[in-house]
Amino acid sequence: MRKENTAGTIDRADIVIVGNGIAGLTAAVEARRFEPEKRIVIMTSQSHPTINTPALKQFAIGKITREQLLAYPPGTERLQRIHVVNTLVEEIHAQEGYIRLAGGQGFGYQKLLLATGSHPLGLPPDLPGQDFDGVLTLHRLHDYLDLRRRLNEVEEAVVIGGGSHAIETVMGLLYWGIRVHWLIRSETFLPRMLDRYASALVLEGARRAGAKVYTKTEVVGIVGRVGVVAGVVTTDQRMLPCQLVLVCTGTSPVATLARHCDIPMKHEKGILVDDHLRTSVRNIYAAGDVAALRDPLTGTYAPRAQWYAAVQQGRVAAAVMTGGADPERFGVSWHATRLGDLSMLTVGSPLASSDEVTPLVDRRRGSYRRLSLIDDRLVGYLSLGPASPDGLAIKRIIDEGLSVREITRDLLRGEFDARKYFSSKRSYAVQRMVTTGQMPTPLPPVPGIVAGERVAAPRVSARAQSLPPAPLQRTTEALPPQPSPEPPVRPLHAGSRSSASQQQSFPETDSLRKQLGAQPTLVGAEQNAAPAAGGTQEEEVELVVRVPERQFIAPPIKPREVKTDALPNPHPSRSLWHYTSKQPAVKGKGNVQK
Amino acid sequence: MFKNKLGQRAVRLHKTGPQVMQEIHACIGCNECLLACPALSEPLTIDVLNRETLGGPISRPVAQFARACYQCGACVAPCPVGLHRDAMMMWLKVRLLRAGWGE
Repeated sequence: MRKENTAGTIDRADIVIVGNGIAGLTAAVEARRFEPEKRIVIMTSQSHPTINTPALKQFAIGKITREQLLAYPPGTERLQRIHVVNTLVEEIHAQEGYIRLAGGQGFGYQKLLLATGSHPLGLPPDLPGQDFDGVLTLHRLHDYLDLRRRLNEVEEAVVIGGGSHAIETVMGLLYWGIRVHWLIRSETFLPRMLDRYASALVLEGARRAGAKVYTKTEVVGIVGRVGVVAGVVTTDQRMLPCQLVLVCTGTSPVATLARHCDIPMKHEKGILVDDHLRTSVRNIYAAGDVAALRDPLTGTYAPRAQWYAAVQQGRVAAAVMTGGADPERFGVSWHATRLGDLSMLTVGSPLASSDEVTPLVDRRRGSYRRLSLIDDRLVGYLSLGPASPDGLAIKRIIDEGLSVREITRDLLRGEFDARKYFSSKRSYAVQRMVTTGQMPTPLPPVPGIVAGERVAAPRVSARAQSLPPAPLQRTTEALPPQPSPEPPVRPLHAGSRSSASQQQSFPETDSLRKQLGAQPTLVGAEQNAAPAAGGTQEEEVELVVRVPERQFIAPPIKPREVKTDALPNPHPSRSLWHYTSKQPAVKGKGNVQK
Repeated sequence: MFKNKLGQRAVRLHKTGPQVMQEIHACIGCNECLLACPALSEPLTIDVLNRETLGGPISRPVAQFARACYQCGACVAPCPVGLHRDAMMMWLKVRLLRAGWGE
């Protein structure tokens, strides 16, 4: 019903999407939003609708049902008039603009999106015993259905792989009460994302949860009895008895279509795409696990095989293919997951190493955080701990290239209050975009103080444009319209940086800043925070607060004045009170009673 | 919705609209937040909840759930990707109110 086999009836479409993973379907739904009339077709060889693949782990251990796996409500495709054709795409004829399907028939396209996803690497093909019953490579829904049926008969299992997929599987099995042997080929866990200490922390957590962890260990062969797995032989000559072998050795993009294209399409690990997801062939785009994007920090192309990246890319692909909207920028990578009782968050490249990068590390009470800073900008953030900080907010800080000078300590301790921070920043980035017409740069081209100036200058002009015009206009009413206010402002600003008068005002602004820091961040409704003043006073405060920042004099970090001598928040990021330091409801009630 | 010193019906949001949208796109649909929820009385799937929080018409079960939510924050800690379901629910409540379902 959801899948209509219409391959015979239509022979061309405006937008053809190959693959109905989350990137493909998101692109289709988004494209429909921009183009209500166009014909959108998804070609897939998958026999089930789009599902939340990260939730498959919860599905395997029986926490959710199959219906709850659906990524979009049932019937979305029909409602959005997206044709889903169950077939295999074999070749792309880009010169004539059509694809060849499995039956040999052609299907024309105007825009083609490749969202073919990835396939699991599995065990090496020559490994003895890998075709015994009970050796599962976990990747698709069918693998998890299989796993779920077997769980009741299993007492001991071996998990192979050293990534987050593997540890999630390990934790799931432990939750089910199965003894788990976990084999990791390398010495550490996730060597490309975590450093040694963080990896040790994760492995320790897995051991505490009950898993037996073997690092630097590989499988030599799988032993079976009458066709069913009985155990695994490892490189250190050990035999681990088990009834189930789960393989989580990573994935690789399915780039077969890139090879079967008559115009050569650039691909290495995945299909190379630019920031607008265009491949090297005209009118062909790629999104999801198969698309290799350029990392803005390192400049290398690599696929981002994560859920959020796929959703984002689906949206961008739709925007680009239809021309309906300005595509959003991807920014740095963001990966959050739960590893046992630890939450892991990686934003950007926390392991970046060069002489410009200053790493800051905090290891306290079984948690771990690592910041990579260039000057006062964040380039990478890694957090491991019982609670995870607001990862998307940190991604935004990196993407917009905001200064973290005042929040470095909070970030390092994992006590960063995103709401507080952004409510003080409010429209700063937007303002800058409006006044300069430029998107925020993720990184300063030249690190150092110069970067500060580059950022600071437009900010002043923004202020100048938004505030003083009122008096100015009154005096110059008869004069011709003012030229851009920037020239008079900029030199003034440059001079003021070292001027004494400006420095005089420093303590005063500092005290204001302190006041502001101690204040609850919600707008209004606080006793002294100007009930009726709303707009105007807020503007003023903002203006004052920015002054020290824009001057780039020695950092106003001062002797730790951030010490909000109010009670320290007992539940960092656990609850609502993470965002507000006062409880609004109680407050309102008090007022009413008076 | 209560009256505060700001006067008329001011709303406190944990997160702005775009932030909530971004979080919904990042949701992996693992259902942990709904499992932890003390206010959820009938089965509700996360895909429906997410789509209706983002936009479009709000169905009866979702509206009921949005009204039942008392913002306790129990949904935030279990989220494996560190999202804030409470903020999304608040956003849904706002949408409900704007649609005139609040009374």
